[in-house]
Amino acid sequence: MDFDLSEGQATILAGLDQLLASVEREPPKAPVFTAYSVELDRLLAQAGYLDIVREDPSALLEGAMIVERLARLARSVEAAASILVGAALGVEAERRPIALASALEAPARFLPMARTLIVAQGEDALIVDVEPSLVEPLETLFAYPYGRLRDPPAAPTRRVAGAGDLLRRRWRLALAAEAAGLMQSALDTVLDHVKTRLAFGRPLGAFQSIQHRLTMGAETVQSTRWLALRAAWSDSEVDVATAAAFAQDRIPALTYDLHQFCGAMGLTLEFPLHHWTYRLRALLGELGGSSGQARAAARAAWAA
Amino acid sequence: MEFGWSEEETAYRRRVREVLARELPEDWESIATQGPGSDAQTDFSKSFCKALAKEGLLIPHWPEAYGGEGCSAWHHFVLGEELWAVGEPRGPQYMNVNWVGPVLMRYGDAAQKARHLPRVRSGDAIWCQGFSEPSAGSDLAALRTQALPVEGGYRVTGSKVWTSYASRADFCVVLARTSPDGRAGIVILMTDMSSPGVQVQRIPALVGEGDLHEVFFDDVFVPTADRLGAEGQAWEIINFALQNERVGIPRYALSRRMLDRAVARLKADGRFDDPVIQDGAGRALALCEAARLLVYKVIDQRAKNAPPDAFGSLARWAVVRADNGVSDFLTEYAPDGLLNADPMQRAHHQRAISAGVASGAAEIQLNLAARRFLDLPSENQRGL
Repeated sequence: MDFDLSEGQATILAGLDQLLASVEREPPKAPVFTAYSVELDRLLAQAGYLDIVREDPSALLEGAMIVERLARLARSVEAAASILVGAALGVEAERRPIALASALEAPARFLPMARTLIVAQGEDALIVDVEPSLVEPLETLFAYPYGRLRDPPAAPTRRVAGAGDLLRRRWRLALAAEAAGLMQSALDTVLDHVKTRLAFGRPLGAFQSIQHRLTMGAETVQSTRWLALRAAWSDSEVDVATAAAFAQDRIPALTYDLHQFCGAMGLTLEFPLHHWTYRLRALLGELGGSSGQARAAARAAWAA
Repeated sequence: MEFGWSEEETAYRRRVREVLARELPEDWESIATQGPGSDAQTDFSKSFCKALAKEGLLIPHWPEAYGGEGCSAWHHFVLGEELWAVGEPRGPQYMNVNWVGPVLMRYGDAAQKARHLPRVRSGDAIWCQGFSEPSAGSDLAALRTQALPVEGGYRVTGSKVWTSYASRADFCVVLARTSPDGRAGIVILMTDMSSPGVQVQRIPALVGEGDLHEVFFDDVFVPTADRLGAEGQAWEIINFALQNERVGIPRYALSRRMLDRAVARLKADGRFDDPVIQDGAGRALALCEAARLLVYKVIDQRAKNAPPDAFGSLARWAVVRADNGVSDFLTEYAPDGLLNADPMQRAHHQRAISAGVASGAAEIQLNLAARRFLDLPSENQRGL
């Protein structure tokens, strides 16, 4: 057991941080619901970060670390499915971004720019080659680009028999790792706010009622992060479902508190909080929500 | 970063389990249900701790110079997990080996070490912790028990409350005040519980027999030789002791075991197919595993000799949530366990309801983490 980064892991993340330093990291100035970084997408693909598990299937933990780190950015980028799901399902490296959906006709994150849609269909996975003309972009409060297939029955699909469980496991892992990074940045944003915003002559963060809930939030962030990383290390059904269940279970209370402590400012698009909280709230509804993951964890733990 | 156990650690866990299988009697669970402070468990702890000592499993984490094996923090924690998971057969003596001994090693003088450590390492002594008072619980610095300096020692007058194990204890680590000077005016006196003027009263409680007492000190003489550390050093010693205490108990290990047992009963009854029950069990499982990982992170730092930091406070909060989350699940979906279907469930319930109170209210940990982990301003701060 070792909770510190190995030399190799530290090198990977240092390289990633260097790459991230070259892109715009500040939240968009324009009042937008959704910000996707096309530039970062290109740089990540070029530098090989999205192929880390494809090149070394044992590098799932390092892949999850990259997903977590990227999720901290205000602008979203499709990395989790490319790193943790695509190669495992046999999707070619260049056929990304990748969107994931529970049904062919369901809305999916990243579908407007995706080249592949992977659908969990019972015991199987369906892989759909996508191009923008097949996709109807959707307006949404969720801070991810969303879309759905214009004509699902006509979509060119191929079935990967027996891959349903693998797809759901890696999707859950992607969800947990991404949630951990989103939670961290959302919490950091609100911590900055409560340290500098005065009420009744004191910083908001000096009030015990706020301190306690933010500390509980910090426990949520840390627990989500370590559960996700352990799940990536073991790649076991129970660890992965447990990590995703925990993350989704905590999203409502955490996002409520974080918005609450920012008052009306937290309801504006000028304040960047929604770039993380409205991605978290999008993740909340995936794969059947927290109950879906909790039941999956219970079945895996006790072989129902 | 990796989350596996080494072969050596796995073998160590296996060995601990073998010793437990051999040393725990058939009626162990009926003893365990009576609580760690009960007469039954206190009596049992004396023979059990001697057996553990013979196996080198009572104080393996102590330095070799003090009779231990200097084993790693991970080995120590594996031992703690296995013992807590079966109901803590060391009873009150877990406290001796986890913090009383280490505190003596660090702050005791040669005579104190020679007097007390042999009894702790042979599993012979029962200690209690005289910290809380009627007007000073989590707010320890508010304590009022007086230690009046006199020729050759102190005259102690006052009372302690909630004191676990006191009715059977040989010694008490008493915090008392030599002056009204806040934390600096406190001394630690290792008080012989047979001293004239010490009176103990049990407090009947939800958490089991022998866990809660009132202890009265009426002009009790404690020799200077029994003062631990220097006058004015008490707060430092208390913090050292509590750092060991706060994440010293792997509570999630028993919670996880009770969850496993309840699920086994639910499956046998054909109820585990109910998605509502699976949902609750899965959420309780997630709480246990979150607590486990946060505590493991603390142990990892301890194993690397890093100084304790505020992450331990977050871990304590996760542990409290896990104990209570599992207890709530069991009470809602397996209440038969509290009606004798599984007597250990009652023992778990009693431990869970005290998890956020014992060794200081968990909310104090939230205060500490707010300032030291999140760097939030003090409650007294005005302006920026």
